[in-house]
Amino acid sequence: MKPKVAFFDFASCEGCELQVADLEEELLDLIEIVEVVSFREIMKEHSNNYDIAIVEGSIIRPIDEKRLKKIRRIAKTLVAFGACATIGGVNKIRNPWQPEEVIKEVYGDIDFKDNEFFNVSKAKAVDEVVKVDYYIYGCPPPREEIKKVIIALVMGKKPDIPNYPVCVECKKNENICLFELGKFCLGPIARAGCNAICPTNGRACDGCRGILSEPDTKCVEDILKRYNLTYEEMKHRFTIFNYTLEEDR
Amino acid sequence: MESSIKKMNREDWADFINNLINNSTYEVIGVKAKGKRFIFAPLESADELRLDYDTTILPPKKYFLPQYENLLSFDLSKQSVNIEMKEEKRIIIGVHPYDIIALQQMDKVYFDTYIDRFYKIRRENTIIIGSNILNVSERSFATSMKAHTVTSGYDLMVTDIGSSIIIEIGTERGKKLMERYATNITDATEAEIKKIEEIVESIESKDRKLKVDKENIPNLLKRNYEHPIWRELSEKCLQCSSCTIVCPTCYCFDIRDEVSLDLQGKRIRTWDGCLLPDFTRIASGEVFRKDKTERFRHRFYRKGLYIPERYNFIACIGCGRCSIACIPDIAGPFNVINKIAEDSEETRGEIIFEIPVTRGGEEETAYIPRNGIIRRIEKLTEFEKLFEIELEDSIDFNYQPGQFVEVSILGVGEAPISISSPPIKKGSFELVVRRVGNVTNKLHTLREGDKIGIRGPFGRGFDVKKFEGKNLIFVAGGIGIIPMRSLISFILDDSNRDRYGIVTILYGSKTPRDILFMDEIKEWEKKEDVIVKLTVDTCPEGICWDGCIGLVTSLFPEVKWQDIENTVAIVIGPPVMYKFVIKCLDTIGVKEENIYVSLERRMKCGIGKCGHCQINGIYVCKEGPVFNYTEIKDLPEAFE
Repeated sequence: MKPKVAFFDFASCEGCELQVADLEEELLDLIEIVEVVSFREIMKEHSNNYDIAIVEGSIIRPIDEKRLKKIRRIAKTLVAFGACATIGGVNKIRNPWQPEEVIKEVYGDIDFKDNEFFNVSKAKAVDEVVKVDYYIYGCPPPREEIKKVIIALVMGKKPDIPNYPVCVECKKNENICLFELGKFCLGPIARAGCNAICPTNGRACDGCRGILSEPDTKCVEDILKRYNLTYEEMKHRFTIFNYTLEEDR
Repeated sequence: MESSIKKMNREDWADFINNLINNSTYEVIGVKAKGKRFIFAPLESADELRLDYDTTILPPKKYFLPQYENLLSFDLSKQSVNIEMKEEKRIIIGVHPYDIIALQQMDKVYFDTYIDRFYKIRRENTIIIGSNILNVSERSFATSMKAHTVTSGYDLMVTDIGSSIIIEIGTERGKKLMERYATNITDATEAEIKKIEEIVESIESKDRKLKVDKENIPNLLKRNYEHPIWRELSEKCLQCSSCTIVCPTCYCFDIRDEVSLDLQGKRIRTWDGCLLPDFTRIASGEVFRKDKTERFRHRFYRKGLYIPERYNFIACIGCGRCSIACIPDIAGPFNVINKIAEDSEETRGEIIFEIPVTRGGEEETAYIPRNGIIRRIEKLTEFEKLFEIELEDSIDFNYQPGQFVEVSILGVGEAPISISSPPIKKGSFELVVRRVGNVTNKLHTLREGDKIGIRGPFGRGFDVKKFEGKNLIFVAGGIGIIPMRSLISFILDDSNRDRYGIVTILYGSKTPRDILFMDEIKEWEKKEDVIVKLTVDTCPEGICWDGCIGLVTSLFPEVKWQDIENTVAIVIGPPVMYKFVIKCLDTIGVKEENIYVSLERRMKCGIGKCGHCQINGIYVCKEGPVFNYTEIKDLPEAFE
């Protein structure tokens, strides 16, 4: 029996799901090994009978929490999918503001008081609300990794997700270190698995797959000085996907 | 006599390179610019070749031990394996002397016991055209490491002296290549040969100088295991392992299985790095080098002490790549060695060890498992199952108690599992497996008749001859009883029993439910001169247990020990158990040299190459897992 898979989206751009849709002819291989029972972005059918729930997006409203908890109750396996779901990602940038301030900033003076759709809380990663079994990191996650995780789940093994920093992949690709080029890159402390796609193309790593270890403050100061970088540049890098870390610091 | 030093003018040299590129026999690799740095990459024309480079980002090791390589391919739907290796012939142009020396070092490792087939084929298929250093990298100290010049290891060695290119012939293969693809080759004049010496001298004068002779580095490290520099520098370490990735002498690798949606899979070998926190992590989650200071220090000791002790060379050639790659700039051995040398008067933590001599496999290895069929499965506890394995081929499978095999499941990976049956029974052997990781969990889902892969047996087991005429104390904690059962069953077998003295077995488990081989234990108890004592840490309610409760050490006073001088003790258990048990053994009078232990580490390759299972300078997969206690008692990483 093929495992039944359902895709769900919360606060996100749905780009992660698009990565699955973009598997194109490989989608045929995918449906050979799993039965996709729900996937709003590419199909109209929906079923509440599934084994594996793949959840995209951050959890930003009480109604989302309710919906997510229901998904968790049904799914045997729940996978957080993409940066918004795994680490909170860009949605967390608004967390220093009060929810009302956020609504006002976006929608102006419209009164949404009794409208639950506009009743927002702080943005959360999926695992801040329910137990997550596996993570597919990235903004967006690489298609290779999506396939790797799905096949692992079908085979009944734990997906082999890198627990080492982007530098490892970047160095294997023989790139010139972006610090040498005067950029602040999160590569040394951000989770790999993306094959260092950003640094390989000249863009500093934003750590969209999360931060593995917090560097020593003294060390950060030394590095900023050594490469003539500013604290603001560093803060900017951290803010994009890893806001909580910055807040706690 | 014909001179082996030739020359070409610049145009003829360019023609030579272009002829090599245009002829499709070889892939031609050379040093090219990448931004302000340099890399080894395929050449499209001679114009791209930059013999004036200082150093490359990655060393040429990537052509012999690639970043990612396919050890085998398989089709999961058919369970078929393909081990074909496609390797083209290659020429690498512009390799600096230090990188040639690094390759020669790599040869020692990969041509050591169990010759690595993949590496060997690439070495044989690659022609090396070296280049003397023309410009010194700012972080180089190759001169101090005596690696700025080289006298062998190349097919041709070129020096761009400006007016022409001087070519030293290293091998017949190099000579033929030149004769075939180059024209207007003449003998170099004495003045031109002199020019090479001048270039080398100028390099020597520009290079950074170590404050100690390279030969003294191992001795310095031997006395400075606890030097404050390890903590001081490692506090700044980002644990990115860039230093090991760019190192020409680092050779550790990981192996993992990758499967695509159409069920086609590959077993991939990829570079690993000992600075990474997961480097020593085993399936149960245990990490053996937890602290980043330990990992930071390990890299220096591996290069400057452990490898020298094993292979007789220092695994650093002074290229300075690690130092360039390290963002906080703490990785370079140059500053570290100089700093330690400055306060060399004092001894700050001594580390003494000898590598036990073991027999290794002479054969070539391609990491290909043999086919094994699961003949019988027995569920022993909630977490452990016994698998009786029969190998499909008829090649002998001889092993010692205490040895292990790598169990392979296509698409999932490999796991080291100790053999649990005595080497008496021919035709099959038994593995008792706790499900903790991917491979073992998968194994637990298999049925009788299913196939698995087996590599091995590996490592050093118990030398049963040495134990003859002795009394034996077995102390097992938890699943430590699994490898021990192989030895106990061997010794208690009727055909062997009279050669051994009194047998005492002390076995501690978490709960009565976790006790393994209960039926066999009852049989052992019935035998003459066999004392068995069991204990459990706790007994959950509702379970019947009238034995001891407490740690395995609490069993020692229960036994009336006799003839202890003539007694050998064998200890296997969780890491935390050893020091307490060894203390008990000491109290009852067992001599240190009569204690044997078997240790668990991350044994990935099984043949002393991948680097994961090291306890300081010792490979558990090769020199262990069974050790005489005196061999490892002074190793800081051996026990908790």
